[in-house]
Amino acid sequence: MTSPRIVAGLLGGAALLLCPLTLRADPSMAEVAAQVQPKMVKVFGSGGVRGVPHYGTGILVSPDGHVLTVYSVMLDTPDLRVHLPDGRRFHAKVVATEPQLDLALVKIDKVGNLPYFDVPKEAERPIAEVGAGVLAFSNLYEVATGGEPLSVQRGVVSAYAKLHGKKGIFDAPYQGEVYITDAVTNNPGSAGGALTDRKGNLLGILGKEMTNSLTDTWVNYAVPVQATVEGERDGKKVTVSVAEFVRDAIDGKYAQLLEKPKTAAKAFHGIVLVPNVVDRTPPYVEDVMPESPAAKAGFRPDDLIVYVQGEQVPTVKACKELLDTLPPNTPYQVEVRRGDKLVTLSLTMEPGKEKPPKPPTTDDRRNP
Amino acid sequence: MLRRSLLALLATAGVLLTVPAVRAADDDDVETLRQKAIHAAVVKVAPYVVQIETAGGADMIVSGGQGKPVIRKGHGPTSGVIVGADGYIITSSFNFVNKPSDIFVTVPGQQQRFVAKAVARDTTRMLTLLKIEAQNLPVPTPAPKGDSQVGQTALALGRSYDAIDKLPNLSIGIVSAVNRLWGKAIQTDAKISPANYGGPLVDLQGRIMGVLIPASPRGEDEISGVEYYDSGLGFAIPLEDVMAVLPKLKEKKDLKKGILGITPQSPDIYGPAVTVGQVQPGSPAEKAGVKVGDVVKEIDGKPVANQAQLMHLLGPKYEGDTITLKLQRGGEEVELKNVALGGGADAVAQAFLGILPMRDDPEVGVEIRYVYPKSPADTAGLKAGDRITKLGGAQGQMQPFSGRDQFLAMLGRVSAGQEVKLEVQRKDGGKTDTVTVKLGPVPEDVPEKLPADATHKKALEPRKGVPGAPPPPPPPAKGDDEKKPETGLVTKKDAGGTRTFYVYAPKDYDPNVSYALLLWLHPVNKGKKDDIKEFTDAWEDYCKDNHLIMVLPTTDAQGGWVAGDADFVQEAVQSTLGAYTIDRRRIVAHGMGNGGQMAFYVGFHDRDTIRAVATSGAGMTGQPKEKQQNQPLSFYLVAGGKDPLVKLIAETKTKLTEAKYPVVYKEIPNMGHQYLDIKTLEELVRWIDSLDRI
Repeated sequence: MTSPRIVAGLLGGAALLLCPLTLRADPSMAEVAAQVQPKMVKVFGSGGVRGVPHYGTGILVSPDGHVLTVYSVMLDTPDLRVHLPDGRRFHAKVVATEPQLDLALVKIDKVGNLPYFDVPKEAERPIAEVGAGVLAFSNLYEVATGGEPLSVQRGVVSAYAKLHGKKGIFDAPYQGEVYITDAVTNNPGSAGGALTDRKGNLLGILGKEMTNSLTDTWVNYAVPVQATVEGERDGKKVTVSVAEFVRDAIDGKYAQLLEKPKTAAKAFHGIVLVPNVVDRTPPYVEDVMPESPAAKAGFRPDDLIVYVQGEQVPTVKACKELLDTLPPNTPYQVEVRRGDKLVTLSLTMEPGKEKPPKPPTTDDRRNP
Repeated sequence: MLRRSLLALLATAGVLLTVPAVRAADDDDVETLRQKAIHAAVVKVAPYVVQIETAGGADMIVSGGQGKPVIRKGHGPTSGVIVGADGYIITSSFNFVNKPSDIFVTVPGQQQRFVAKAVARDTTRMLTLLKIEAQNLPVPTPAPKGDSQVGQTALALGRSYDAIDKLPNLSIGIVSAVNRLWGKAIQTDAKISPANYGGPLVDLQGRIMGVLIPASPRGEDEISGVEYYDSGLGFAIPLEDVMAVLPKLKEKKDLKKGILGITPQSPDIYGPAVTVGQVQPGSPAEKAGVKVGDVVKEIDGKPVANQAQLMHLLGPKYEGDTITLKLQRGGEEVELKNVALGGGADAVAQAFLGILPMRDDPEVGVEIRYVYPKSPADTAGLKAGDRITKLGGAQGQMQPFSGRDQFLAMLGRVSAGQEVKLEVQRKDGGKTDTVTVKLGPVPEDVPEKLPADATHKKALEPRKGVPGAPPPPPPPAKGDDEKKPETGLVTKKDAGGTRTFYVYAPKDYDPNVSYALLLWLHPVNKGKKDDIKEFTDAWEDYCKDNHLIMVLPTTDAQGGWVAGDADFVQEAVQSTLGAYTIDRRRIVAHGMGNGGQMAFYVGFHDRDTIRAVATSGAGMTGQPKEKQQNQPLSFYLVAGGKDPLVKLIAETKTKLTEAKYPVVYKEIPNMGHQYLDIKTLEELVRWIDSLDRI
């Protein structure tokens, strides 16, 4: 194991010595681009309204014209088209979609021997670590036309994390961990593009344009090729990976997952929160119903609920929304602020039918 | 070619450093080694980077460059850097602009989260020190400031995502510049955003160079520069500088910018030489004996050739720091040692005589409509009906003037506490007296009753000029060809035809009377016509009796007003100004909740139009902008005692008062987050009626 300091020193020295060399285009990157570009396509469909572009990017995943792209309203047209990197244009049809992975597979006919990414094989590689150099290939802003190669961007893996960790912050369809990059890939037309490592191995599929609603900042992300989702099919719980989706879709036998059934009734907890006066009212416990699950868990009036299952609930609204989605009969870890300490309580809710007492309402604006 | 150069590179490096790293695996090229170094640096710094989350507080409007701001919220998880083993954490003040009621910290590797308290702020560098009850935390060693070189790799880290087990999120760039923001910050082109504000900027060796903040050379509050997020323009405060002031911050002392108290003669910051144009009364400069006309030659032995250099040398200084000044005074050089800089609390309060003038009066001088009880004017024996015709300094020559605005402009050069002489022609052709008045500060309460008679109704007559005074401004234009302006509630569209605003003018509108303009900025989701009608109905009688016109722009955005709406609001105001006779001294931005925050924003943004801000249930985020002598701004703040925002509103009052703005603050004990009660509403009307006070 080389100490980081030595490596850093080495690089510093090397960089100084070789400045003139590094000014030239990195030949390896050109080679990588040349190797990836033939596997990329441009996709054209419906759109052009309400911020959805009518163009996007796709990845060839079979020699016979199967294209992996994002699941989008853009695909919802009889006039779906795919342009190959050699300039040839084809009509395409949607073969399979999986909204939970936010992916779709489309097919063009009468082609063969196309270069492609072998997704099941790419998925065997480990997840790239934070700091790994990445390249993004996409038709951002429809800059590339006809047979022109796609635009290439460079960056690093900023994080590998769940966008959905914070409920409601991101409106991402795929809820697992994703690559977040510091290359600015959230552009019209980028979705469905390829995120590769520096050697041109496929890391993920570029996601749609998306903002973090807490900070109103854009986030650049890609769904990893190793992504999996859980769902229901024929009454059974199943897990589907990107590789399986691609393989089964190519074989023409992919059936969309049913979403996990939502709990019918809200579970009963017995916590009465303070009235939601302003948007940012913190979730203080106003009262705990006697004998309720909350009482058993040890909640007290004036506790401030901070985290539910590790997820921060900064407002009354966020807290209610999250509690309402959780099914009963499972213990949940809830951290409350009591004085200057955070106390962890275990809350097991009961199947719900209760109507909690209506909290007193406050007029937002009385007439002058 | 590639392989050969690579070999050469590795060989050279190996010879230089003789480390075994050269014998790496086959696929190790320079880039791979670089990535390993980056990864190692991130791993090394990861334990020092904490996640910060908040609860409670206000929603806010964020200002930006040229009214083109977008970001409204800063509630997301952000980052901090541990600076004390016993639980001290430094972070960007951006994280707390909305005054959250609770702050929580997640320390990497520790399942149990912590409650944090804000200890103190460094308002010059937009940093906040937090404290958590923890022991034995790892503390980083800062990279020496001198080691930060332009072009070197810079890693920006944050804890925006999973905080406990994972590595921080990373963006890579270089050091773009050092000593930025008047000597305070390192600049980087790494992507800096709310995802890493408060996190560290790290070198390839894993040493922390600085703490990331949003910043802009154009603004100094906690949120300036957010508009540059992810743009390649980012800033970090050197950790070494942070460590140097840490002991002071730990004593719970907010650190403020050190102010000398001089205004250079020329506004050109790159102009030759810094000649002192003004010395602020009570400032360190005055106390040290700096005189108007002095030329600043050196500060702390470093030459000052222009204002920009002066700003560079003073920029990093704190209140209480001492400097040595070398001045040129005439032919001689003067050295002033140990000049302790002030905290900027020496902004000058607006001088107040204590009268209201009669409006729409073309005669020379100013006729007194009302004398404030116990005011300087009252003490000096001025009475309603008297006409002030000349003004002079304590020793100076008496000067005539034409009307209120000229009188105010002349008084603007005088500060509270100073004496002036007035020539007064007594009521009903009485004799002419000269009285001496010591001006006071603007009172913090509103008169119980004001005389209804406020105007001579001659707004459209040309004002009489006086010899020795600048010519009076022409009367307001009469509008389009005698066409009577519309009255009642009128629906209007902006020039683009996409946005709706309303104007309400009393049915008996008289263009010869100057009306106050009330700009109503409605709360979230209260912009429908019915809501607006309800509001104008409530104000109808006041508009008639007190000569008020209302302009009511609307937004149907879910989140309410955003700063980007300022242009539209301004357009609505300007169109109303063009159509009616409006008293420019009494244009009031009035709003509630989110609309109130917009009122603060508009007030500070449209300084040449807005003269007052009246809010209910709204606090101001960030710091107030500096007071402008010729663009007065008054505030009327209403807080419900039961409104969760009451603390923020009270703080707003303090901040505005410290900045020497006239503020009326009303806390109504039994009121929650709602509009005004009748009593307060009527007082607000009187306050608007008194905004042309002198």
